[in-house]
Amino acid sequence: MPASPPEPLLRVSGVTHRFGPVTALWDVDLDVRRGDFVAIFGPNGAGKTTLLKVVASLIQPSEGSVEFPGDEGGRELVGYVSHQSLLYNEMSGLENLEFYGRLYGLGDPLGLARAMLERMGLTEAGDLLVRGYSRGMKQRLTLARALLHEPRLLLLDEPYTGLDQHGSRLLTEVLRSLRRDGRTVLLITHNLGEGLELSTRVVIQHRGEVVFQARRDEVDRESLERIYFEAVEK
Amino acid sequence: MRQVRLIWVLAWKDLRVEYRSRQAFLTTLFFALLILIIFNFAFDPGSPATREAAPGILWASLIFPGVIQLNRSFQAEAEEGTLYGIVLSPVDRGVIFLGKQLANWIFMLAIDLFILVAFVVFYNFSFSWSLLWIVLLLVLATAGFTAVGTVFAAMLSSIRGRDVLLPVLLFPILVPIIVAAVNATQEVLLIGEFEFFEKWVQLLVSFDVIYLAAGFLVFDYVVGE
Amino acid sequence: MWLENSKQFLATASRLLKVSGWMLLPLYLLIVIALWGAFLYAPLPDRPGADPAAIQALGDVQRIFYFHVSSAMNSFLAFFLVFIGGVAYLVTRNEKWDAFSAASAEVGIFLTTIVLTTGPIWAKPEWNTWFPWGDPRVMTELVLLLIFIAYFILRASLPEGEKKYKFAAVCGIIGFLDVPIVYLSIHLLRTLHPVVITATEIRLDPMIRQAWLMALVAIMVLTVVLVLLRTSMRLHHRAAQEMRQQLRERRARAA
Repeated sequence: MPASPPEPLLRVSGVTHRFGPVTALWDVDLDVRRGDFVAIFGPNGAGKTTLLKVVASLIQPSEGSVEFPGDEGGRELVGYVSHQSLLYNEMSGLENLEFYGRLYGLGDPLGLARAMLERMGLTEAGDLLVRGYSRGMKQRLTLARALLHEPRLLLLDEPYTGLDQHGSRLLTEVLRSLRRDGRTVLLITHNLGEGLELSTRVVIQHRGEVVFQARRDEVDRESLERIYFEAVEK
Repeated sequence: MRQVRLIWVLAWKDLRVEYRSRQAFLTTLFFALLILIIFNFAFDPGSPATREAAPGILWASLIFPGVIQLNRSFQAEAEEGTLYGIVLSPVDRGVIFLGKQLANWIFMLAIDLFILVAFVVFYNFSFSWSLLWIVLLLVLATAGFTAVGTVFAAMLSSIRGRDVLLPVLLFPILVPIIVAAVNATQEVLLIGEFEFFEKWVQLLVSFDVIYLAAGFLVFDYVVGE
Repeated sequence: MWLENSKQFLATASRLLKVSGWMLLPLYLLIVIALWGAFLYAPLPDRPGADPAAIQALGDVQRIFYFHVSSAMNSFLAFFLVFIGGVAYLVTRNEKWDAFSAASAEVGIFLTTIVLTTGPIWAKPEWNTWFPWGDPRVMTELVLLLIFIAYFILRASLPEGEKKYKFAAVCGIIGFLDVPIVYLSIHLLRTLHPVVITATEIRLDPMIRQAWLMALVAIMVLTVVLVLLRTSMRLHHRAAQEMRQQLRERRARAA
């Protein structure tokens, strides 16, 4: 692994977010360095998705700040894979990517879209309407959409949901290759095993708070599981 | 220049999606046609009284399908969360507003023109050059309608029960458009004298300018979470 | 951070309460003066050329005018405050401004309701119609009432939270921007189809003018006091809600 520069890529400091009287995030501090693959675990309603949305600037937090200390710019630094596909069913895979490429102001949207389809193994499906895609193909296109503009930071919100065995194996391969390339990733997942295998750091969130943080080599599967259930069942 | 191109990229995407799911367009058009015909039966069909009320009927039969169209334009975006997809991109949110508004505007104008033809036939007016004035009114009134409508529809796309809420919020705001459009249409179709026409057009233009500017400025607050 | 918001709300709320408390005494005085002005001080308007029977028939009903017109003018003020509060909320994202906007909208609806109920009582004898469709002021009031009822329907269909306040602010801004256009459109309509109204000419006596000014000031102060009181109540309510929720969360954390 390359030596980490002192400046983190992403700095989340003191972020609290309320939906009306309900507190979804509570004083969250999180530094993510370049090349980190952070797996975020937590039960439903722990505020994981809210945290990702705050980082993606979809939500402006009630308090605290989200910064990218080393980088100029804003939304284009982030690629986001949410629960929804963010794809147009009535457009083909290629058209979808081209459209988003134009929104991000990329030089050659069509060429980049083609290259990205090839990388995701979707070249043949490129001209089909997304409506006709299988769940796995759609998920790969979703990832392609998020990676198209070469974001500094990739946010993945439970990308395994709804995938069959085959689909999740493909996804794991893609995520592994991202890790090999030294991409910076925030991954939300319920699957402790998968998450642990991919990650370089783990975070456990509960009731809007970050209750546990560690480097990957500091925990193994059993200890993580123990810590998780202790934290959550409190 | 880049911003203008982005507006077009956004609008073109909408029009393409609409074209591919054209059944929805045809349904909306059919709905507009039905209103036009039902109104004819609500009065004495073909009587002078119906003719007198015709300008009002024309505009009423355009507004209801318009609301359906606005609702649908954001329903499609909510289905797969694509509105977030757009909002996540570095495109200025005012530009997103103008793109959506442009698409809705073009789309509604397409419906308007079909309805205008049907209207002339059903209400026994003649096809003459003066209809171009009506087209001008359609262009201006629809611009304002879609400007306000796009803001509200975007807002409501994240609320349940939006189908009723949109007309509730929208119709009171539209009063001046209706007044201006109906009266200007009256001058063109029934009176034949353009005494106040220019004034009505001015009113429509100021409505358009005010609400396009307002939409551009506030759109940032109605999308995202 | 614990309860910080609620504390702020409470501080502002009690400050507003204090201010409006101080305004109550002058308000009572002003209202008494306005009543005196309208019912005792001001003469009935001079109607040159009208026959005495008509004047007799019109009579004291005309005195509604003082409160009707003053309420109408202040309803515009209230809705303007909704607009101001909306802009301020979007800029500062401080919930106090949302409470202010909502309070102003309530007072605006209250005043508009007064206008639209006193209006017909006065209009029937004066113009021989309950509801003068086509009068720009009446129509603007009506449209404003509709817009701000819709504003509260929107508020009611959203859960508490930033989203609600943002949407309400946008709705208030868009609604208020409509006012001049509605007015102009009906004004133009009126020039186009002049409505035949059977009103007798009214010459405004200086005493009538003075009495009307008294009513205007009294209702303006009433508007301000009501807005402040309602804002304060809404802030109290929000603070209480938040405290309850945070207490619950804190207990859950401590458990």
